[in-house]
Amino acid sequence: MAKVVVIGAGFAGHTAALYLGQRLGKKHEITVISNRDVFGYVPSWVWVGVGHMKPEQTVFKLKPVYDKMNVKFVHAAAKEIHPDEGDQYVMGEEIGSGKEVRLDYDYLVVAPGPLLNFAGTPGLGPENGFTHSICSLPHAIKSRDAYLALCERMKKGEQVKIVIGTGHPGATCQGAAFEYIVNVHKDLVKKGLRDKADILWLSNEPAMGDFGVNGVQIKRNGHVMRSEEFLTSVFNDHGIRYQVQSGVTKVEDGKIHWQNYEGEEGTTDFDFSMLIPQFKGQPFKFVDKNGEDITSKLTNPAGFVLVDGKYGLPYPELAQTPDAWPSRYQNPTYKNIFAAGIAFAPPGPISKPFTNKNNLLIAPAPPRTGMVSGVIGRVVALNIADLIEKGEMTHSEPMTEMVAACIASMGDSLWDGNAVTIVMRPVVPDRKKYANEFGRDLFTSHLEMGVSGAWMKFMLHHTFIWKFKALPGWTIIPE
Amino acid sequence: MQTSQEFSKAEKFWMNFKLYQFWRFIVLNIKILAAVYQSKRS
Repeated sequence: MAKVVVIGAGFAGHTAALYLGQRLGKKHEITVISNRDVFGYVPSWVWVGVGHMKPEQTVFKLKPVYDKMNVKFVHAAAKEIHPDEGDQYVMGEEIGSGKEVRLDYDYLVVAPGPLLNFAGTPGLGPENGFTHSICSLPHAIKSRDAYLALCERMKKGEQVKIVIGTGHPGATCQGAAFEYIVNVHKDLVKKGLRDKADILWLSNEPAMGDFGVNGVQIKRNGHVMRSEEFLTSVFNDHGIRYQVQSGVTKVEDGKIHWQNYEGEEGTTDFDFSMLIPQFKGQPFKFVDKNGEDITSKLTNPAGFVLVDGKYGLPYPELAQTPDAWPSRYQNPTYKNIFAAGIAFAPPGPISKPFTNKNNLLIAPAPPRTGMVSGVIGRVVALNIADLIEKGEMTHSEPMTEMVAACIASMGDSLWDGNAVTIVMRPVVPDRKKYANEFGRDLFTSHLEMGVSGAWMKFMLHHTFIWKFKALPGWTIIPE
Repeated sequence: MQTSQEFSKAEKFWMNFKLYQFWRFIVLNIKILAAVYQSKRS
């Protein structure tokens, strides 16, 4: 009987656990260790953040789902991984009791989600800083409360400044921030308060609509349309000001400090701000059989687990080398360790990085959340099942082949809501396979705005929660 | 950096025309599912 341990129960870890439970649960021991005992449907936290959805509608308890799927659940925080052959185990600390937990494994999936590195930008974040976040459910609730308090001030006639975007020169997840800013706009329009707010998009992207993936390009009526034009139209249409190519370096009470590509340093005032922090790997320690810390051998400097990618290529070379992107998410040294979702180390950025004259690197990190996380979780789980049952892996899916769909809602109403539907193929451009300057399949890639997107978003919320609860037919719902 | 690019009146009309949007909803679903299942067989 093989033992498989999954660290984390987010999009990647939970997806991996469901597939592992389905394929191996009855014959082998599958265990999930997570510091949270609920699954959180992250894409809907945008709606929590403006008070349009109750927090409890976005979460459900994990244990009943795992019981059904023959997966053991341990509510503990993983602290150390001991990867050396002969004695491979994860040490954790039980939530609540603080008791030590030891989980032996034959195969390990590292999928704990990101460490929200608010400390990377002085003054950032809802706990020790002045800005808000929608990256966790407690943060989204805090964000909602602050936003609704701001609305009360606006009702009394006060003019306010709202800044939404990225809070670090290397932040990712611009899509979530974009969704939040347009939801705030829409909510203020509905409340009749839009004229009381000056709303600014502040982002580290090289261009509008870049999203950390070098933008999205589609073919429409014979010509190529870029997400830059599309998103610019959205913001102009909504009266949202925008400033890209800017890395936030510090936040003070009511003041955001930034630097741009030109090396100019500036400040922006705010009454309410939601800025996405830099993501880092979770601070586990990898320990060898002699008790030595070997974390730096298994992870990159940001703490993400090294897998089967080609690391160290300069950006121009990486942009022309699609095989540099990992396809099996397997650690090259410890081949029974896999990393899924945010946890795997990408070989480099997708969007062109820029270092300004002050030596500040402004480079959006590659997004590996949502659909990408789920797909990787599935690939990793199916490969582990293959290794256990057949002795060899049969699945692979690099981000240079992966399709991703993203629905950025603008209001949750099914009647007058709106959303931008984005489909890109592949997520990471493959300039060898697709003979155009963007390295994308311009026929499959798609960009569209309309009420239909709001219906899609509503449908996705319910179908994905259905899938993640492993209700009948969950496997036919794609990640 | 700010430009004056905006959606045209015709574009805005189609974005909110429910019957057309219902058609787009069906097309988008088919398009996404087709793309996803094409890559899911890896």
